[in-house]
Amino acid sequence: MGMDERILIVEDDAETAAAVRAEVEALGCSVDHCDTLEAGVAAAISTPYKVIVLDRMLPGGDGVEAMARIRAGGSTALILILSALGRAANRVEGLEKGADDYLPKPFEPDELRARLRALLRRGTMQVLDNDLLAFGDLEIRMKARTVHVKRAHVAVSPKEFELITYFARNAGQVVTRMQLLENVWNLHFDPGTNVVDVHVGRLRRKLEDAGSPAIQTARGEGYIFFPKVTAG
Amino acid sequence: MTLARPPIRLFLAARATLRLAALMALAVTLLSLGAMMLQYRLVETRMMEAQQALLTADLGGFAALYEQRRIIALRQAIEYRAAAATGDEMLLLQDRNGTLLAGTLTEWPVGLAPVGADFAAADAFEFTSLGKRWLAVARELPGGFPLLVARSLQPVDDTLAALRRGILGLLAACLGAGGLFGWLSARSVMGRIGRINDLADRVAEGELDARLPGERSADEFGLLETHVHAMLDRIQNLNRATHRLSDTIAHELRTPLNRMLQKLSKIEGQEALTSELKAEMRQAIRMFDSLLDISRAEADQGTGGGLVPVDLSAVASEVWELYEPLAEDKGLIAEARVTPGLRVLGDHNLIAQVLSNLIDNAIKYCSAGDRVMLDLSEQGDRHLMRVADTGPGLPEDLKAEAFERFTRAERDRGIKGHGLGLALVRAIAARHGARLAMPATEGGFALEIHWPRLQHSD
Repeated sequence: MGMDERILIVEDDAETAAAVRAEVEALGCSVDHCDTLEAGVAAAISTPYKVIVLDRMLPGGDGVEAMARIRAGGSTALILILSALGRAANRVEGLEKGADDYLPKPFEPDELRARLRALLRRGTMQVLDNDLLAFGDLEIRMKARTVHVKRAHVAVSPKEFELITYFARNAGQVVTRMQLLENVWNLHFDPGTNVVDVHVGRLRRKLEDAGSPAIQTARGEGYIFFPKVTAG
Repeated sequence: MTLARPPIRLFLAARATLRLAALMALAVTLLSLGAMMLQYRLVETRMMEAQQALLTADLGGFAALYEQRRIIALRQAIEYRAAAATGDEMLLLQDRNGTLLAGTLTEWPVGLAPVGADFAAADAFEFTSLGKRWLAVARELPGGFPLLVARSLQPVDDTLAALRRGILGLLAACLGAGGLFGWLSARSVMGRIGRINDLADRVAEGELDARLPGERSADEFGLLETHVHAMLDRIQNLNRATHRLSDTIAHELRTPLNRMLQKLSKIEGQEALTSELKAEMRQAIRMFDSLLDISRAEADQGTGGGLVPVDLSAVASEVWELYEPLAEDKGLIAEARVTPGLRVLGDHNLIAQVLSNLIDNAIKYCSAGDRVMLDLSEQGDRHLMRVADTGPGLPEDLKAEAFERFTRAERDRGIKGHGLGLALVRAIAARHGARLAMPATEGGFALEIHWPRLQHSD
């Protein structure tokens, strides 16, 4: 994540735009901002951005509808929809129409940061095509769907396995509860109860019992998967 | 998802119009039958009167001759008449020994008794002889001379028979024409009603923008079609307005909330307070999301738009799996029996929301040792989903309004919630054409959702 990575913000609310800009700059990326859809689409086509943060109810139209034009213009940017249309149905619609992520307003700055990081990493990350994911003494075998800590087998449920692979894919980054619910359970609504905590807690205890404190709580934000690679 | 109803309904409509047409044809036929019967009677009476008049004239002639020269003149006249007989008259004069004096017959017809000795025709009687009907007068003239004067009724019978044949033919033609006309008009009415019925079926299946093609005709059917179209336009506009309004509400409320949240995040040193405020905001957003979801689901009710084949069993298992550890951690006994592979036409997220609401409620209201159960099985043409628990159940006075928005029991004020869960469940169930039932339980709460099964052809 260097200074060479540019992010485009298409947002008509000045205050929201400023908040997004602050997060993006904190990540060390450079920012362009447009406050109408037409200007945004034009900028997206003329400049190679890494990520576009796109609003929906903009002067000039709906960001979701404009995604096709941005893609047709040759942009390979990852698109994060940031919108007040935040019901489950809106989110599913946005994702189905090609958005890479969808964050409803109001959003917490931490949530936005976690999602931007995940998107920025997506381009550079090694794809998990190799069978073995090793983080020091923690090993995940994709084909066999097994987890080993210090060569000892850790019994995990199928859901827990999906959970740990999602963590592994975002190793070192804060992962929010909402991200887990969306990506591991494919649920796009807020269940109100922190059901996710119970699952993460169980997986975490299993790993800790086996001797790996890989999952830690990021206070107020979510969880972070940070296995000590040098341990042993 | 084609219903078996329309053809049956069309058929019934056709029968209703056909019945009406048949009734009208029958009425017209009966009226004409009455008119023809009246005419028949009139013709019969007039012809009988004519025969009677002929008989009277004959007898009058014979009476005059008898006045002049008695039997001799009568005999001559009858001989003369018998020679020129046309077959339409019967004349016979005998002497006191029964010997033929003159006549068209040789023998006195059996069973006829002469009565009186005058030449009046008033007491003429009918009898049958030689295969014909006759109007006759039989006398015994002074001195023992039996006299028979009769007029054949054959012309009357022939005319009446022809008339009857004519009437029968006319009746048949009347019925046939009435039936044909009725059938043709019924068919045209049926066709036009059928068009409107088809339209209604398409709209009921979710095609809100369906309309009848072509021009509206100027008659009452055209007017009916115009009214139906106006009605559909209005429904469609209301539906659009609901969709637009929910988007606007979301935008107008979430944008200021967003600014508040951004500012809240800048406050430092009061972590506990800000996180409490954030939780409150999250709760408020969940509440109006639920309200918008409810009105959207209600607006989309009955429209199949946006629904796709969904593995109901898989969704049920997933949501159950999400909540099971929560229930276990709370010391509840969690049991799920899910028949695999049951499919419905639905929205994955909405179905998950229904289950999440119900299971979350069950866990929330139960305490350690209680049971929480999820069953999904096939039952006839429906999939039965049952979420039940052995918790405190619904207070009796709340049962009637349990599915209304913001219904909460007084005793549950301490438990987090906004009273929209069951209202959302009902709206989403209705959106999927599913039926809700609250079966009586010995304790605790149970809710059944009967989902329409996905047809294999879909």
